[in-house]
Order: sequence, then C-alpha cells, then structure tokens
Amino acid sequence: MLEVSGLSVAFKAGLALRGAALTLAKGERLGIAGESGSGKTLLGLSLLGMAPEAAHVTGSVQFDGQELVGAPETALRSLRGQRIAMVFQEPLSALNPLRRVGDLIAEPLRLHRGLSRAAALDRAAALLAEVGLPDPTARLRQYPHEMSGGQRQRVTIALALACDPDLLIADEPTTALDVQVAAHILDLLRDLSTRRRMALILISHDLRAIARVTDRLAILYGGDIVEQGPTADVLAAPRHPYTQGLIAARPVLSASRDRRQPLPTIPGNVPALADLPPGCRFSGRCPVELPHCHSTRPTGNPACHREAT
Amino acid sequence: MTLLILRRLLGFALTLLAISAAVFFLMNVLPGDPAMVILGIESTEDARAALRDQLGLNDPVIWRYLAWLGGAVQGDFGVSYSFKVPVAELIAERLPMTLALAGLATVVTVALALVLGVYAATHHGRAGDWAVMAFSQLGIAIPAFWLSMLLVILFAVTLRWLPPGGFPGWDDPIAALRALILPATALALVQSAVLARVTRSAMLEVMRQTYIRTATATGLSPARVMWRHALPNALVPIVTIIGMQVANLVTGTIVIENVFYLPGLGRLVFQAISNRDLITVQAMVTLFAAIVVTANFLVDLAYLWIDPRLRART
Amino acid sequence: MRLPANLLIGGTLVALVLGTAALSLVWTPHDATRIVVAMKFQPPSWSHPLGTDQLGRDVVSQLMVGARNSVAIALVAVLLGGGIGTALGLLAAAVGGWVEEVVMRLADFSFAFPALLFAIMLAAVFGPSLTNAVIAIAFINIPVFARVARASAAQVWTRGYVLAAASAGRGRAAITWDHVIPNVLAPVTVQLTIEFAVGILAEAALSYLGLGVQPPTPSWGRMLSEAQTLLYLAPQLAIWPGVCIMVAVLGFNLLGDGLRDLSDPMLRRAR
Repeated sequence: MLEVSGLSVAFKAGLALRGAALTLAKGERLGIAGESGSGKTLLGLSLLGMAPEAAHVTGSVQFDGQELVGAPETALRSLRGQRIAMVFQEPLSALNPLRRVGDLIAEPLRLHRGLSRAAALDRAAALLAEVGLPDPTARLRQYPHEMSGGQRQRVTIALALACDPDLLIADEPTTALDVQVAAHILDLLRDLSTRRRMALILISHDLRAIARVTDRLAILYGGDIVEQGPTADVLAAPRHPYTQGLIAARPVLSASRDRRQPLPTIPGNVPALADLPPGCRFSGRCPVELPHCHSTRPTGNPACHREAT
Repeated sequence: MTLLILRRLLGFALTLLAISAAVFFLMNVLPGDPAMVILGIESTEDARAALRDQLGLNDPVIWRYLAWLGGAVQGDFGVSYSFKVPVAELIAERLPMTLALAGLATVVTVALALVLGVYAATHHGRAGDWAVMAFSQLGIAIPAFWLSMLLVILFAVTLRWLPPGGFPGWDDPIAALRALILPATALALVQSAVLARVTRSAMLEVMRQTYIRTATATGLSPARVMWRHALPNALVPIVTIIGMQVANLVTGTIVIENVFYLPGLGRLVFQAISNRDLITVQAMVTLFAAIVVTANFLVDLAYLWIDPRLRART
Repeated sequence: MRLPANLLIGGTLVALVLGTAALSLVWTPHDATRIVVAMKFQPPSWSHPLGTDQLGRDVVSQLMVGARNSVAIALVAVLLGGGIGTALGLLAAAVGGWVEEVVMRLADFSFAFPALLFAIMLAAVFGPSLTNAVIAIAFINIPVFARVARASAAQVWTRGYVLAAASAGRGRAAITWDHVIPNVLAPVTVQLTIEFAVGILAEAALSYLGLGVQPPTPSWGRMLSEAQTLLYLAPQLAIWPGVCIMVAVLGFNLLGDGLRDLSDPMLRRAR
C-alpha cells in the first residue's frame, strides 16, 4: 500500500533525511524509533506532503500506486485526512482552542463527505464513542480546554479517523501523558488498527510503546534508517550498534537491577544537522567504529560496516 | 460569565465617570477665568461678573460638576455660548457625518489590514511580505492630513474624479459617498499600516501552532486553514490594537474633517475653540474620550466572544 | 557584528534630520521668515532649490528651520513626559502596594485622552500656543513611560541579587539607583526613540491645526496648512514638508526598532 524509496529531505544546513526506504501493507503496524532530531517527525510529515517549505524533498513515496513526492497540492489535499491521517504530539495544543470538539470533527466530514451539520455531528459522536470517550454527545459541545490531556488525545484520534483513513500516522501520541493514560491510548491505537484494518505508523522515542503496538520496527538515526525488521526480533537481538545502545539505555523497572549502577547511556549527543558525519551518521559516537565509517556510508540492513564484513 | 460582564460594565461606568470629572475639573479649575476666555481681554469687569453669575461660576466647583453631570446623563450638556442652541442639538446635527466617516474608514482599515497581514504572513520572507512591511513602515510615518492633501492633488486637482472637500448633505447619497471616499481612504491607509503589521506577527505566531498542522493534515484547503483556523486565533492581539486605534481614529477624524471641510464633530470643536465656547468644547472632549473608553469596553467584551477559555474564568 | 538594516537606514535618516536641524542654527540659504512678495511662487532655481511660497519665502530655509523646531519640540516634550513617566514607573515598582495601584490605574485611564484632545482642552482654556502643544505631547508620554519603566523595574526587583541587597539592609532608593535604573535604561531609550517619532507626528498635526507652532515661526505642519489653501495654485508647496515629516518619523521608528532588536536578542530571533 505504502512504498517509500530513496526519500531524502534537504535543508540548507544538510540532509535531514537520507534515502529512507520503507514498505507498509494494508493493516500493518510499523514503529519508527529514534532520538529527537533523528528525523522521525519529518518522515511522518513528508508522507503527507507536509514537510516545511524550506525543505527540499526528493525520492519516492508511492501510496496505492500514486506518487506523492512532487504531487500537486490539490492531489495531496484530497489524500490528507481521507486516506492518510496524522495525529501530532502535544495533545494540549493539537486542537484549535476556539472551536467546539464536535465542530472540529464535523468539519472534515462536511467538507470531504458532504454531510449535513446534523449528520456530521452524529458521526462525530459515534467517533468519540469509538475512541472510548464516555458520554460522547455531551462532549461535542465541549471546548478542548475543558478536557484532560488523555481525553484530548482521544479527540485528536477521533478527528484523524473521521474520514476512515487507510493509514494513520501517530507522532509521539503519548509524550505529554502520564504512564497509565499513555498505555490506554496505545492500546486504543492498536485496537483501532485491527478493527478497521487500518495501517498504522507509530513514531516514538519510547521502545516500550512501540513494542506494545507494532509488528515491525525501523530505527532512525541522523536521518538514516539504520535497522529495520520485525519488532520482537529487533528488540530481542539488535544488530546495529546504535539500536543496541538505544535498548541498553532504556530504563528497566525491576527489582533485579542494581540501583548503584548508573543507567547505561550512549555517549555524546545527536550532532546538529550541519555537523553530521558524511559516512555512517553514528560514527563518532559508535563504540565499535571502523576507520572508514566516518567517510563511507554503510548500506544494507542493518546499515553497518561491521555487519557487512 | 454574566458576573464577568457585569463587573466589566461597572468598571466601564466608573471610567466614564472619571473621564467626565477629569475633563470638567481640568477645564474649570485650571488657572484662567472662563468669563475672560469667553468675553476677551477687552471686556469690562462688570460684564465678566455678570457672565460668571449667569454661568454659575460662583458656586463651588463640586456642586457645578454634579449639576453638569446630572444634566449630561439626561443628554443636556448646556447651551452653547456661541451658537446659542443646546450643545446636544449641535452634536446630534453633526454626529451622522462623523460616524459615517469613522465607520467607513474602520471597515476599510480592518479589511485592508487583515488581507495584507494574512498575505504577508503566508508569504513570510518573500517579496510580498517585504512589500507589506514597507507599506506598513511608510503608513506609520505619513500623517493622515498630508496623505489627504496628496490624494486631493491627485484625484481632485489633477484627475478631477472626486471633490476636493466639502459635503453636499445626505439628500444625494451618491454625492455624499463621493465626498467621503478620499477622507475615508486617507484615514484607512494610515490606520491599516499598524494593524497589518500586528495581524502579520499574530498570524506568524499562530501558524506555528500544532492545531494548524492538525487542520492541514485533515485535508482542509490552505484558505480555510488560514481564515477559519489561524485568523480567529490571531484575533485577540488584532482586536487589542483595533481598540487602541480608536483613539487615533477619533483624533484622525477630527483632523481629517478639517482637511476636507466636512461639517462633523471635528469641525465643530475647532469652531468652538475659535469662538471661545468652553461649554461646547467641554461637552465634545468628554464625548470623544467617552467614545474611546466605550470602544475599549467593547474590545474587552470581544475577547470573551472570541476565546472560550476567557469565558471560563469568572 | 553586522548591523541590522533598520538600524542603518534609521540611523542615516535621523542623522540627516538632526544634521539639518543643527545646520539651520548657523546657516540657511535665506532668512526663513523674510517675506519678499515680488518673489512669490518662484520655481526651483539655484538660489531657491525648492522655490518660494506664496509670500516669497524660501522653501528650503523654512524646511530647515522647521526641522529644528520639530526636533526641539519633540525633544522637550518627550523628555519631559518620559522623565516624569519613568520616575513614576520606578516609584511604582519600588514602593508597590497602593502607590503602584494608583499609578498604574491612572496610566490605564489616560488612554482616553490622546494628545490632540488634551491640546484642544488647553487651547480652549488658554488659547492656542506652542507651550500647550508641548504640554499635550508630554502628557501622553507619561503613561507610556510609566508602563515601560515599571514593567522592566518590576523584573529587576524579583532578581536574586536585588533581594539579597534588600535583605542586607539597602534602602529602596539606593537599590533603584544601583540596580534598577541601569537595567531600565535600555528599554526606556528604545521607547524614547519611538516616542520621538510619535512626538514629531503629533507636533506636525497640532501645528497643522493651528494648535501648535504659531506664525510666523516655520514648522512643517504649519507649512502644510498654508499650502492646503493653495492646492490648485501651487500643489508643489504641499509636497516637501510632508516628505520631511515622513523622513523624520520613518528614521526614528526604524532606529527604535533596530535598537530594540539589538537590546532584546530573544525578540530578534523570533522575527
């Protein structure tokens, strides 16, 4: 259904996404993991043709055989919301504060589906019920600020589902929520995907969230997809040194962990766009670096020179 | 919500009371003899004493203020010394002219500023944006009365399309409108300069918000995203500036009426000054200040109408 | 560091206006007020680069003296109003409590009286004069500077080293002098520059309406009001005074914007 190949996004400072390749079948759930600044959100936006104006996008994004890179704005607009929908992080600011929740959800239904106001509001109530908000009819008249963070995130999901998209992209949908609410939202996303046979891309820095929801996993670092495969396999046996570091740095709550030991971390920070090494993006921070890693870009899955030798 | 409006209403009434007192005391307590101002230095002491008596100037000033205020709330501002008719009548006669000019100018100002501001914001950093910013800087630097003269030179003196000034009365609406085009344009171009700039920066701020992304991601057209989602969220700062500009609009109207010889309140106040008609000037200054205060009160109410989050706070 | 464009353009225009005003003190091509009826409505020439007006007075000389008058009036009025306003703002921030409340309420309330309205009142009571215009322009500046000074001063008063000085027994006046004033200086300077532009505009409007500079003293606003009666006969007389006002106001506005960008890096980044 979705086929991404050689997708690159260039800014003045450098390449923020470098030849990304992904495929996604109908109803499949893909996780995209990486630190902030790795290009996760940009990848999500590019799939909707919504990369920032300053960005130069090349490569190919095929959706049901239709090429989206370089497609006219009107063509992209008829896909957005109707075939591909996106849920953004920060549920606190993702909803227009001046509009009632019902009107927000009804708007795309009225514009894309031509429903009357009453019919659109009925449908909106049904959607709110589907995302697990109690008393949906009363919710329609509420403003976003009258709801909790978790409730608002459910509303943004309902809004994304309004026109029955085939693909839902959820960008860090749980960052601002507390753990328990986050777990509910993640389960909701997984169930919706199953029930509606809707493909799902979950973008997150949180590997546990991804493990909870997705079938497959792609690890993004510095604009490169460094490793991808079935979620369980990648997490159980990471092959790229970056993935290994990421998994090791994950805090584990268990009685067995020795609390006097510091949590393992990956040394250094993700470099700024202009300072990324030309070869393997991870070189410089990599514990098992080879001499040519800095200058030569590794290929394959995982994209690592060590793995290739 | 009702409580909130009531509280605002009370504040509004108190402010009106305060400005009426400020104007009254400023014009009556300042060193200077109103009788001398009205009659001139050549007048005899007897004549001045008689006038002071007639005007009630020998009563304590508080007492005079309360008497004046009592009349004012009933629409009685006293009798004009120079026109020999009630001030209220003078004002009622000229008010439609001024309201028409100010109203027309405001409509054009807001429309022009919103279009320019939104355009500049959506073309941020490009040529259109720079053009709007340059227009804005120039508009702020150009006095409305000079712009009026340039417009008269171009459209009345050279092209002879529109009258250079004067007002034909309301009997011929087309002629009346033609007489108002240049004055309203001069006012609007200058006023919209500031407002376009504020609209632009407010829009730029709003366009960064996630809910704008959300709206785009649901497949709405850019025009709908701009006008239905972004602009309403930018309205609070825009309305604030509109409220602040009412003071400029009032003074602008006074000036422009004098440029175009339009028989409105602005002309009246200058006739009253040159006639040393203190009673009329006092009523009119109070009226102008009251208009400014009222506009700001309406802006306060507009906030509540725009933003449900403010309504929630009681 | 590269100077921002608005600072550069604004500075140049302001230097031009101030330079002309200063020059007019020692030299003008002709006596700006000398009436030579025989020389009326002269077209531009070597002797009169912008021609002469309806009374044969040299336009360039009048514009130069007009620059001096505009600058002087705006300077006196804005410094007067700005000084009183800043003092009130500092006082409000230092004392707090009901004093602050009263000062800020008065500042809120004074928006109802734009300069023109205030000048109208004064003109009605005392008759039109330059002094009234100066007082009116000064008056509208008081609340502006009171707000700016209080806002910046209030921030300083919450800082750790100020609280430390206060707890060490330093008096409010001493703290205001040592710590608050140096920090308030930058925003007040920026505001002065911008209000200077407003002052020039206000002076022009008041003089145009006959409430400011009185004849025969040359002033840009008064030149325009005289030119207005001659729009059919000599439209060229209505051009140059307006251009001068525009250049001066534009200059001070751009300079003010540039100074604000310099003093406020946060703002500069946001733009």
